[in-house]
Amino acid sequence: MLEDYFRQYGLIAIFTAIAVILPGSLLVVSWLLSFLRIRPSKPNDVKRSPYECGMELIGDRWPQFNFRYYMFAILFVVFDVETIFIYPWAVQFKQLGFFAFAEMLVFILILVIGWAYAWNHKALEWR
Amino acid sequence: MSLIHFQVLSAALFSIGVYGVLARRSAVMVLLALELMLNAVNVNLIAFAAYGEQVQATGQVIAIFVITVAAAEVGLAMAIILRLFRDRASVDVDEVDLMKW
Amino acid sequence: MTLHDLYLLSPELSLASLGMVVIILDMVLRRKGVLAAVSVVGLLAPLAFSISLWGDLSGEPDGQMVGIFNTLVVDKFSLFFKFLVMGIVALVVMSSVEYVSRLRQFQGEYYGLMLFSASGMMLLAATTDLISTYVALELTTLPLVALAAFLRDSRSTEAGIKFLLLSAMSSAVLLYGMTLTYGFTGTTQLVEIFERLGASLDATVPFGSHALFLGVIMIVAGFGFKIAAVPFQMWVPDVYEGAPTPITAYLSVASKAAGFAIILRVFYIGFGEISLDWAALFAVLSAVSMTVGNLVAIAQKNIKRMLAYSTIAHAGFLMVGVASIAARVPVGETTLGPSGVLFYLVAYAVTNLAAFFAIIAISNRTGSDMISSFAGMGRRAPFLAIILAFAIVSLLGIPPTAGFMGKLYMFSAAMKSDLAWLVVVGVVNSAISAYYYLKVIRVMYMVDPEGEEKIHVAYAPQAALYITALGILALGIFPGPLMTVAEKAVAVLFR
Repeated sequence: MLEDYFRQYGLIAIFTAIAVILPGSLLVVSWLLSFLRIRPSKPNDVKRSPYECGMELIGDRWPQFNFRYYMFAILFVVFDVETIFIYPWAVQFKQLGFFAFAEMLVFILILVIGWAYAWNHKALEWR
Repeated sequence: MSLIHFQVLSAALFSIGVYGVLARRSAVMVLLALELMLNAVNVNLIAFAAYGEQVQATGQVIAIFVITVAAAEVGLAMAIILRLFRDRASVDVDEVDLMKW
Repeated sequence: MTLHDLYLLSPELSLASLGMVVIILDMVLRRKGVLAAVSVVGLLAPLAFSISLWGDLSGEPDGQMVGIFNTLVVDKFSLFFKFLVMGIVALVVMSSVEYVSRLRQFQGEYYGLMLFSASGMMLLAATTDLISTYVALELTTLPLVALAAFLRDSRSTEAGIKFLLLSAMSSAVLLYGMTLTYGFTGTTQLVEIFERLGASLDATVPFGSHALFLGVIMIVAGFGFKIAAVPFQMWVPDVYEGAPTPITAYLSVASKAAGFAIILRVFYIGFGEISLDWAALFAVLSAVSMTVGNLVAIAQKNIKRMLAYSTIAHAGFLMVGVASIAARVPVGETTLGPSGVLFYLVAYAVTNLAAFFAIIAISNRTGSDMISSFAGMGRRAPFLAIILAFAIVSLLGIPPTAGFMGKLYMFSAAMKSDLAWLVVVGVVNSAISAYYYLKVIRVMYMVDPEGEEKIHVAYAPQAALYITALGILALGIFPGPLMTVAEKAVAVLFR
């Protein structure tokens, strides 16, 4: 059974190999063709940019984020991770019964108080 | 795959985390290294739960608690780091040295 | 989980709800002065539940009630710490009344976080499981971190970041140690750990097994951080200096008490089989903590920093009791070490709180924490100066004070378990500490004051000062009753 399990990884390995070889060989072929002068080489500013279409890039590679993002990040992390407790409870909802349901309501109530607190202190506004 | 592989993985992660906490200068990076240490603990827990003498859920339950507490810790840490940044425009822990001895 | 479980957890639940009520009231109310009163009066609810639980214990044959999948235990040991923590919180809230008026906003959070942290401490004393130990420890620490960074000035922020990063690291180390123990024994429950260790130990290896060796050392490191033992003390002075002074007072007594509660429970119950190994470890840590704390304290000019190093030294004195284990003690006196720790914790709580309350009242006016700014306080604030001097005498351990009785119990426990060398270290250290403690008294009475303005104290902090000072005196003259209670409380550790 365990060998079957690892055989699944074999499939993934084949996929990985194809995914590496295919674009890799295309690049190599293109590079080789440039020696035969079949591939023209006419660089200009638009071609050199990382993304040829779409938004023009602004600033450096490692910009400093506006620290107001962090306020939202903090709130998101805390509230997002709390749901980790809701999943196991939801899976076993019927077996756990009413008492666990009441407990989960209390848990969510506490989260709601936290959310109301954040709202009340204007943490959800972009200032 | 056996318990020992997970043990080695966990010990390696933990050691990298300790190194990061001690060597990194940015407070955010120190925080990342701390997360690495906690994740090493999680790997350990899940491995013990799965490969222990009797298979049990205890380890997985602890892992959930560890993840949650770690999130709370990160929230608090980010808040304090924000204050630190507003205070002295840097999050370098080497420069946090108003008080010594 | 049943309703009975909720009843067992009711002190912690009501305390945490009280914290939430205070925070909600802060959003609704305009007059913030009510919040302190709500916090103190609200403590009556957990107090009533704890008293009721204490009453119910007499009906139990083995003196304990276990609930929530055997992770929570209500016994006299845990209730002892619940009463202690509630008393400390009430006193600290009373002493903060004047101090918080300098915070224009977030007063509700100040009290609320303090109450959350207290519920964590109460939980810490009542858990018998490594998971809930970790969760309770973080519930204790995280609000304290927020409180340490509360003042929004650069020193306070610095205290917060140092406290947080170091405490997160120490709890990761602690957790790793716990997982090793879990992996070795296959369980997280202390009683089961004890039972399974008995069968699987190898007498030729220290701590009975290599996994356990590493695990126990990591657990000691994690707990050592919380009780401020050397070499895990580097956060203490900075956090104590940067944090708001009432929080420093709270941190120095309450989180130390909770830390020792969990150390006693984990090591005496869970790791009872290898007690000779960890007791040696604690004895060494104790000697080092006393010496380093006292020697570095001599050089301090800031009184909060000085008391921070003094608290490290006192952690050393407290560990003497932890190291005085039963295995070495003659039958009949087995409980002296741990019950001495409980007595010392109460004595240290009243003493240190009295000292800090006097410091809060004085530095509220002078605006400085330097020892030199206490010059002439004997004339400017006779009442505060005499209480501070009395508290310092108790910290030093001179009769008739609580500190003296605490040290007496601790050293006699150590003598009975063949730790005479540790007693010698302790006595020498007490002598060293006289130098820096008495310096404060000298500055207060022998140096001329900078101004002549008298210092007045509001009613609530004054009451807190009276209570703690009376506590020091009462425990110094009549230690018997508390010692009896402490002996009853630690009985659950020896079964």
